Amino acid sequence: MRTVKALQRAALVAVCLCATEALADARLEARRHFRNGMSLIASGQFDPGIAELEAAYAIKPHPNVLFNIARAYQDAGRNQEALDTFKRYLASNPADSSSVTGQVAKLEAALKAAEVAAEPKPGASGSSLPMPPPPASVQTTQQLATLMERLEKAIARAESLPSQPQQGPASSTYVPVALPGSGVEAAAAPAVDEGAVPYEERVVTASRRAQSSLEAPNATTVITAEDIRLSGATSLSELMRRVPGADVMTLGVGSANVSLRGFNQRIANKVLVLVDGRTEYQDFLGLTLWSTLPIGLDEIERIEVIRGPGSALYGANAMLGVINIITQAPGSGPRSRFTATVGSGHTVDGSFVSHGGSGPLRFRASAAYAQEDKWSRDYGDDRPDVALLGGSPEIGLRGARGNLSTVYTFDNGRQLGVSGGVHRYATEVYPLGLLRNYYLNGLSAYAKSDVELGPIKVKAFWNHLAVDAGPQYEPIGQRSLATHVTSNVFNGEALYAKNFELAGEHQVNIGVEGRLKRVAFSYLGPLRQEVHAAAFIQDEWRVVEPFRFVASYRVDRHPLLDNGKPGLAHSPRVSALFTPFEGQAFRASAASAFREPTFLESYTRLPVPVPGVNGASVLTTGSTQLRPERLTALELGWRGEAPELGFDWDLALYQNTVKDLIGLSAFQALPAGEAYDPGTGSYLLGRSVFQNEAAIYTARGVEAGVTLAPIDGLGIKASAAIQHMTAQNEEQCGPCSQAPGVKLYGGVTYRTRADLEFGVDAAFTSSTTWIEREPSPSDPTTVQFNSNPLSAYTVINARVGYEAVKDAVSVALVGSHLGGTHAQHPFGNRIERRVFATLTVTP
Amino acid sequence: MSRPIPASTRALWALAVSSVLSAGCESPPVVPTADHQQNTRAGRIEGTLVAQTRARGNAIVFIYDADRPPPPVGTGRPKAFTVIPAVELFGQALGDPSATGPFTAPFTLSLVEPGRYLLRGFIDADTCRTGAQPCHTSDFIPWYGVTGEPNMGDVGGAAVDLATGASRILEVTSDADGWPQPLTGVAVSFSDTATVPLDRPAFQVAVGTRTLDAKSGTKLLKLRPQVISQGGVEQRPPGFLVQYVDDNHDGIPDDANHDNVGDLWPKVVVRKLAGTVGVLDENDLDHNGIPDAEGVDYVHTDGMRDGQPDVVVLAAGLVPDALIAALTDEQGAPRMKPIIAPELDIAIRPIALDARNPAAPAPLASLPSGRYSITLITSTGQTWRVPNELDPALAPALGLPSVETQSFTIEVP
Repeated sequence: MRTVKALQRAALVAVCLCATEALADARLEARRHFRNGMSLIASGQFDPGIAELEAAYAIKPHPNVLFNIARAYQDAGRNQEALDTFKRYLASNPADSSSVTGQVAKLEAALKAAEVAAEPKPGASGSSLPMPPPPASVQTTQQLATLMERLEKAIARAESLPSQPQQGPASSTYVPVALPGSGVEAAAAPAVDEGAVPYEERVVTASRRAQSSLEAPNATTVITAEDIRLSGATSLSELMRRVPGADVMTLGVGSANVSLRGFNQRIANKVLVLVDGRTEYQDFLGLTLWSTLPIGLDEIERIEVIRGPGSALYGANAMLGVINIITQAPGSGPRSRFTATVGSGHTVDGSFVSHGGSGPLRFRASAAYAQEDKWSRDYGDDRPDVALLGGSPEIGLRGARGNLSTVYTFDNGRQLGVSGGVHRYATEVYPLGLLRNYYLNGLSAYAKSDVELGPIKVKAFWNHLAVDAGPQYEPIGQRSLATHVTSNVFNGEALYAKNFELAGEHQVNIGVEGRLKRVAFSYLGPLRQEVHAAAFIQDEWRVVEPFRFVASYRVDRHPLLDNGKPGLAHSPRVSALFTPFEGQAFRASAASAFREPTFLESYTRLPVPVPGVNGASVLTTGSTQLRPERLTALELGWRGEAPELGFDWDLALYQNTVKDLIGLSAFQALPAGEAYDPGTGSYLLGRSVFQNEAAIYTARGVEAGVTLAPIDGLGIKASAAIQHMTAQNEEQCGPCSQAPGVKLYGGVTYRTRADLEFGVDAAFTSSTTWIEREPSPSDPTTVQFNSNPLSAYTVINARVGYEAVKDAVSVALVGSHLGGTHAQHPFGNRIERRVFATLTVTP
Repeated sequence: MSRPIPASTRALWALAVSSVLSAGCESPPVVPTADHQQNTRAGRIEGTLVAQTRARGNAIVFIYDADRPPPPVGTGRPKAFTVIPAVELFGQALGDPSATGPFTAPFTLSLVEPGRYLLRGFIDADTCRTGAQPCHTSDFIPWYGVTGEPNMGDVGGAAVDLATGASRILEVTSDADGWPQPLTGVAVSFSDTATVPLDRPAFQVAVGTRTLDAKSGTKLLKLRPQVISQGGVEQRPPGFLVQYVDDNHDGIPDDANHDNVGDLWPKVVVRKLAGTVGVLDENDLDHNGIPDAEGVDYVHTDGMRDGQPDVVVLAAGLVPDALIAALTDEQGAPRMKPIIAPELDIAIRPIALDARNPAAPAPLASLPSGRYSITLITSTGQTWRVPNELDPALAPALGLPSVETQSFTIEVP
């Protein structure tokens, strides 16, 4: 036992000797320094305490740390340093600048008075000899005066605290009187909100306003820009593996499906993905085309993942969770940054990001090009039976994109944000049923505007998608399913925030939203158009510390929900939070959520050729009579932190009950009179229709995640998710066998004194069995359900980085999927190891 | 602010980057997924349809295993089919029934495995376009027995040897690496000379009982044409096309059983059905015309089972007496041209055979109990079977009209 401890200590010492600089997890490391510093200051050890705060600030600048440093200097009686630090604080343009300015004036006056007092008085002796020490009685008087001053400051500080939201039951942090960013913040707000309490984890997605993740009514996971950089991840979807409970299924380089807490599938459709509050969920299919998002990893400030239902605030499709990708605020980064990546699989990736501004206008502009080969091809060249229909047989992803995001701040502080982007790409997607991988060759674009009008925020955006699509390979001579899709979504919403007192403090958010969707897609028949509307309200009621309650309700009007006529979907959520100690939050919540039928599920009429029988098709049809998929969720959570140890943890237990799942029925014979389809010149073997399943699925699970930054330079993340799903009224439960029962994630990052960075992470997914329909090999006119076992797999990624020129040039070597070849879906690519080299230049 | 980079570090990075670059030159490997189609190797047959006809309608081309030809030569069922829409085949002439072509259009049969094949087809004519009375619109539906064959006015076609006019056997071969080779340039010809003269031999059992047992002796049934004109099924046979069999084309009726009576079309097949309901044949539950790998094996007259699922048929045939008279001219010589008989008498003997090998049926030791169907096969290759999908117990679920007479079965207790 002693030996083990000795080895542990030796390892710890060795690590400490090597690591002098951050950063593996900047927030946790800075927070550890900050908390340790505050403890030292509270015990009167000002110098080491201030040094710790300075270390925290050096790791991750936060204006409130400067405020605390200044107060510490002031408490230590070092007014000149206090003054200097207050001025640094004011330079960050804090919201409480007026009161701090007054304080600065007092300090300047006090210093001037001290200088005057120190100057020799006229008539006094002109001797240069040192003055004898004052009498003991005078020293005692000065000490008493200092003590009195500290007492007064403490009282003033105590009086100032109630004027801003409590961040915990007994915060040990000095907090400025008025807090930058402490107001209501919409999920879409691009500005970086660092919160009042330095280095606390902040989220904006859980309640559509900025709050500590401890206060969030859902289980949340935040992936920071630093996490992204150190992970070496090459795609957004891969990053999601670090989210406890996330199901990531990569079928190709450019095709991934992400779900939360089960129900993943080709075309995963139960998680809402937002970019700065703008939906990236494609309503015509019901999926997120991850590789077509018009943003790059190097533009992301952080990703917030809400694990659990989010329909109470976000409406349809936020059924199992919300992933909100928050990009860097305009003007918040370097003037220019170039990144170039080359690697195996003919990977070539280059990007340029620029931040800047002029006066009240700030901007972020970016441009990028990326291409990467598939991991594997389904068919070889020059086959006598199957031909390549569209796209390149080798390219998995190729695209060029550009973005411009601007913010104009008016004199009165109000802001207008305008942004837009475009992505021209060629990639692939794996649709449902009998269909296999499709090429996508097209363009996505968006334009968005955010306006802040005091407590009201107005947002409008337009999403556009125009793609040529079709099966990448088709039997020669078979009728082609190639098509073109044009989708336009127009969305407008207004949010209103109000705080008031009524038997406790209330924070109320009210929102209304309208959306027009227009989809031209030959699979759906004529141009389809839907108008949606919604309203929601949320009240966070701090009835009495340490209890608070959050009640949310949203109603969505959908044009088809009442048996094909306009109907309403209601999504309530109630949460109770109990924070008995600082940094510890216990949560219980109940919510319902829904997923609306997609255009594909509502309107499809697609005769799919029967392979090898060119005169036959099987008809896939939508139904306008579909009910929405419904989820009822119960969740218990515990989120805690030990700042002095650099340790955060999150535990969640949940039960999700899903009914009315929408899926394709078994094939049904058609009446003889409908057997011939003149549009395709083929005979319809039968029909498979989108329908609500009778089964009721219950998923129960537990998710646990920890983040550690015990010493500078070392960061550790680990999580585990275990889930068990059952079904009522269903003999063969596809979603049960397709959801991995166990998912594990572990990641370590380490940065040495020599500016070398090491990172490695591993994600384990247990085995699954996929029930997929295929034509019978012996008789293709018979469609059968096949059981496809998929082995467990582990995805291992690693990164080595080196900062060759401080703050200017860095290089990195990244290995992805180092765990070996595997497939994540029976019809997906065989994923291979790849290695990339990246050069980043920040002139 | 820059700092010097150690030579070793530079070398390490250079090595790493060069490794990356060299590793990036390989193309993605071909790795089929679990999808069945990706794990098969097939070829294709493609060519041109050539139609010289006044008929207008979609052209249907079937592919048969050469070893399992369709009626009237065999009882094979198509492996696949393709449809060439009328608008593609006839183009501007679609609305001009006076034009006879030739009309051409390309066709492809996809995903054809290596093997020997026959191509047959017909133009599913819309005879109402030509003003014929009675007429029918294009009425082929491949999914039902009662709608899956040509009718009167349809024009037959096949891939034939242009020199001999015989059916051409098409072979899809594989190369040295096992890759099937596409077979191209195949012509499938349609001509008005192959116009189908009558609707299919739809019948009902007008006289006769269902039950047959070993003690009851030969059962006689009288079949009469069944007119059906509803729910997408159009059959108006004026009678049954009857003629002598002359497979060797010598102008003399064949006499395969040497009973000194010329063999006649239509042929009669009485086959055992599976289970107590439905129209599937016993031991052919996938309805592909090939005996299943597993099934019922009956005891043969030698007291042994042959170890394979049996194709059980009963000894049956036309009662020729009345027909022979009609097929004999004034000089007593056989008339080789077909006649239309208003009714047929068939005889079913209580003798069961295993027709797994149609050329040498093997007698069974006893009469297997169960249901049996009756099938007529005419010289044109058209067939009709009772019971079929028009059985009121089946028809509503299939979207077909119910016809009570079409539920008739021979019952062996």
